Amino acid sequence: MSETRVAVDDVSKTYDGEDGGVRALADVGFDVEDGELVCIVGPSGCGKTTLFRIIGGLEPATSGEVRLSGEPVTGPSPDLGIVFQEYHLFPWRTVRGNVSFGLEQQAIDDDARARRVEEMLDLVGLDEFPDSYPKGLSGGMKQRVGIARALAVDPEILLMDEPFGSVDAQTRSMLHGELLSIWQETEKTVLFVTHDVDEAVTLADRIVVMAPSPGRVQEIVDVDLDRPRERTDEAFAEQVEYVRGLISE
Amino acid sequence: MSTRLETDLGIEFGGDYDRRRLALGALGVVAFLLVWEVTSWFNPAYVLPSPRAVADVFLVELRSGTMLTALIASVTHWLPGTVVGTTLGIALGVTMAYSDLADDMATPMVRVLRPVPPLALIGFAIAWIGLNHAGAAFIIAAGAFWINYYAAYGGVDGVSEEFLDVAKSLGVDTDLGLVRNVVLPAALPEIITGIRTGIGRCWMLIIAAELMGVPGVGRELYTASQNLSVDAVLAYILLMSLVYLVLDTGVGAVQNRVLGWQ
Repeated sequence: MSETRVAVDDVSKTYDGEDGGVRALADVGFDVEDGELVCIVGPSGCGKTTLFRIIGGLEPATSGEVRLSGEPVTGPSPDLGIVFQEYHLFPWRTVRGNVSFGLEQQAIDDDARARRVEEMLDLVGLDEFPDSYPKGLSGGMKQRVGIARALAVDPEILLMDEPFGSVDAQTRSMLHGELLSIWQETEKTVLFVTHDVDEAVTLADRIVVMAPSPGRVQEIVDVDLDRPRERTDEAFAEQVEYVRGLISE
Repeated sequence: MSTRLETDLGIEFGGDYDRRRLALGALGVVAFLLVWEVTSWFNPAYVLPSPRAVADVFLVELRSGTMLTALIASVTHWLPGTVVGTTLGIALGVTMAYSDLADDMATPMVRVLRPVPPLALIGFAIAWIGLNHAGAAFIIAAGAFWINYYAAYGGVDGVSEEFLDVAKSLGVDTDLGLVRNVVLPAALPEIITGIRTGIGRCWMLIIAAELMGVPGVGRELYTASQNLSVDAVLAYILLMSLVYLVLDTGVGAVQNRVLGWQ
C-alpha cells in the first residue's frame, strides 16, 4: 500500500460577492498516491485553477483542507514545486539563474548547487543555453526552464497548471514525452491541471473530472492504458470519448 | 551567399545611418552657431557676445582655475545630496509600495509634502544647517528624494504577484527575502530610470541650492549675472551642460549594462 502524497479533503471555496458570493468549489475531495500522475480536467469555470491555487498554498480554502504527506497546507512550500502556464520565469535571470533560484535559498555550498543546476539543465535538455535570458527563448524552452526550476529543489510533488497551454501542438506532444520520462526518472508525484482531455488521457494514471457551477468532482477515472500511449489507438479514443462524455453531461 | 550579402548590407546600412545622423547633428550645431554669430554682430557684447568671445571666457576661466574650483565646490554638495536623497527615496518608495500598512500610514503626509518644491526648503536649510555645503546638499537631497521615491514606488507596485508566488514556492519565506530576490530585481528598470533622472535634475538644482550663497558653479553664474557679464554666464551654462552630458552618458551606459536582460 503506497503512501498518500496529496489529500484534498472536502475543499470548498466561496468568493465574496453581492448576493452572498460565488461558490467556486464545493466539497472537492480526492487523494493522490506517492509517485502517481493525476490530471485534473474540466471545462472552464469548473474551478480547477482555484483548486490549483489552493493545493499550491497560494490561496486559502474557505473550508476543508489540503494535506501534503499528511501536513496541512498553510502556504507555498518547497515540498511542492509549481509550474505555471505563463512560465513566470524571472526575466532578469539567465536560464541557469532561474534554475538555481530555489537552491540559493538553501544552505548548500556553491559546488553542490552548480552540480545540481547542471543536472537539471541536462534533465530537461537545456544544457546548450544556460546563459540565455528568458526573453530569447521559445515557449517550449521557457517551460523546460520552468520545470527545471521547480524540480531543482527536489520537491516531493510537482503541481502543474496547464503548463503546455501556450505552446504549439507539436512542441506540446514533445513536452508530453519529456514530462513522462522525467516523471519516470525522478519518481515524483505529479498533479497536472488541464482543460484538454487528450492531454489528460495521454499523461494520467487517473483523471479527476470536474464539473462546473459549483466546481466539484464529477468522477475519478482510472486510465488503464500502457505507455507510451498512441492517440490513434482504439482504446485511447474510447477513453477520451468517455471522459468527454462526462464533461458534457 | 545570400546571407552574407544581407549581413553586409545590414552593416553598411547601419553605418550609413549613424554617419548621416552625426552629419545632420553637426550641421544643426553649425547652423545654431552661425545664427548666434550673425545676431551678435548687431548687438552689443553685454547683450549677446559672439560664440568666439564666450569660448575665450570659458578658456580664461578654465585656465585660471576658477572654473575647476567652482566645479569641485558644486560637486561637494551635489554628490552627497544626490546619494542621500536617492537612497532614502528608493528605500521609502520600495517600503511603501511593498507594505500596505506603511502605504496607508504615509500616504496623507506624502500628498501634503509632495508639492513642496525643493527651493522652498531654503529657509529650513539655512535655519537648520546653515549657509554651507551641507545646507545645499539638503536641498539637492530633497529634489533627488521625490524623483526616486516615485520611480521606486511605481516599479515595485508593478511587480507581478506571480513572481512572488514562484519565489514563495521555491522557499523564500520572509519579506526581506522577497524584496531582495524578487521585488528589487523586478523593479530595477524603473529604479535605475529614477536614479538617472534624479542625477540630472539634481545637477540642475545646484543653481537653486547655491542661491543662498554657497560657492559653486551656480554661484559663479549669479555673480556673472549681477556683473552683467553675459559671456561668463554663457561660459558657465556651457560648463553645466558639458558636465550633464558626461554624467548622463555615463549613467546611460551603466543602465544598458545592468539591464542587458531586457
